[in-house]
Amino acid sequence: MTAGVTVGHAPRKANRPVTAVQQEPEPPPQDDLAERFRAGDEAALRQAYDRYGRAVLHLATSTLANRSDAEDVTQATFVAAWLGRDTFDPSRGSLIGWLLGIGRRKVVDRLRASARENRVVETVRQLPDPAPTGPDPDTVVDRLVVADELARLPDDQRRMLELAFYDDLTHQQIATVTGVPLGTVKSHIRRGMASLKRRWEVDGAAPGPRPAGLPGAR
Amino acid sequence: MQHLDHDRLVFLALGESEADDGEARHLDACAHCRAEVDGLRHVAGLGAGTQGLGDLPDPPEHVWQGIVAEVAAAEALPSLGDRRAAGPPETAPTPANGAARPGGAGGRRRRLPRWAVTAVTAAAAAAVGVVGTFAVLSGSADEPRPPERVVLASGALTAYGTTPRDANGDARVFTDNQLHLHVANLPAVPGYYEVWLIDPATMRMFSVGVLNSGTGDALLPLPPNVDLRTYSVLDVSAEQYDNKPAHSGDSLLRGTLTG
Repeated sequence: MTAGVTVGHAPRKANRPVTAVQQEPEPPPQDDLAERFRAGDEAALRQAYDRYGRAVLHLATSTLANRSDAEDVTQATFVAAWLGRDTFDPSRGSLIGWLLGIGRRKVVDRLRASARENRVVETVRQLPDPAPTGPDPDTVVDRLVVADELARLPDDQRRMLELAFYDDLTHQQIATVTGVPLGTVKSHIRRGMASLKRRWEVDGAAPGPRPAGLPGAR
Repeated sequence: MQHLDHDRLVFLALGESEADDGEARHLDACAHCRAEVDGLRHVAGLGAGTQGLGDLPDPPEHVWQGIVAEVAAAEALPSLGDRRAAGPPETAPTPANGAARPGGAGGRRRRLPRWAVTAVTAAAAAAVGVVGTFAVLSGSADEPRPPERVVLASGALTAYGTTPRDANGDARVFTDNQLHLHVANLPAVPGYYEVWLIDPATMRMFSVGVLNSGTGDALLPLPPNVDLRTYSVLDVSAEQYDNKPAHSGDSLLRGTLTG
């Protein structure tokens, strides 16, 4: 599989200590993949799968109990996306956001179908309610979208945010760890957060910016 | 009212510090700043949950094989967007990738790439499906047919009502009264999909048959004496096993057939 820069395999995502960035991946994140996909270039299907297949599979495996259902959903997502590529509008969101949207609907359909099956079984066997499975699909989509944007941020912004998110460091601690002046840390974090939020509003599971007080989760 | 500094909102959202009294009062009063902080806080929570998403495992190879086989099966069928019967053969050899334009005149049908053909041959189960469908559409040996059937009427089907917008389809009726339907991305339904022809002037309708999948092709016979100028609307509905043979009212796709 070829490398790309996005969720699923951002090879340069620094693991914890903010040391040297590993290999820089070849293709720039803002390329013409989305346009070529929409135009029906078959190579773009493979590239989209190489870049985003992991993210779609992750969405499916983390929300569906059955592994083979999750693989089916991943397969069906890419088939539906390819056959329906005419309906993809790159000006309204990213390719990964669109793919995850299709995957999310398919996951939800599966969950509903298995809930119905369970109800039938329960009626017949009087079984207790099965424990709810994995996390809510919208949250998984939102995380994948944010992770994709994080991977696209300039290195400095990404490093600072990873220290804040993953290591729970304060801005002052980040300044100490990285040797970057506090004011610069703050400005990287502020700009990075603004980009993440904007991207989440465009590509998150619930379309459009959310109203106040309803932060995403449903 | 002066809003809080955006820097400060990010600071608060990340839990860097507590809001002081003045800020707390402002946040109580100002929906705009409150929404911003809530949004930033939510995004920070999502961010904290992204660890590990950079190193996700590859899907197994058979998922890709399945994609290729299904795509090949769908595209091997004569595309309904083509209207090959009408107009001169504009299908000059398609230039390779670079020249392909979105929404170009060639329509969505393209030659199958070699990898697709190979993969179909390899994916035995799926290939059986392809060959089977092909045989149906091109006519079997004991029932010879002209290679290009003449299209009597055709139309594109689009998502109806609250159906997700990526649901779509194409329909065409051949002169031998076979209806060829291609549908994609129909939402899953608890019952089944049923195909109808409707007279839009009176909303009289009749059922043409059922589809066995939300994405794929079907060939359904029409009554030989049907008047497609009257029954010009094709509709795909979601039906339940409810002992009610009438249309459920839950239309998923619709389109108008034109000759």
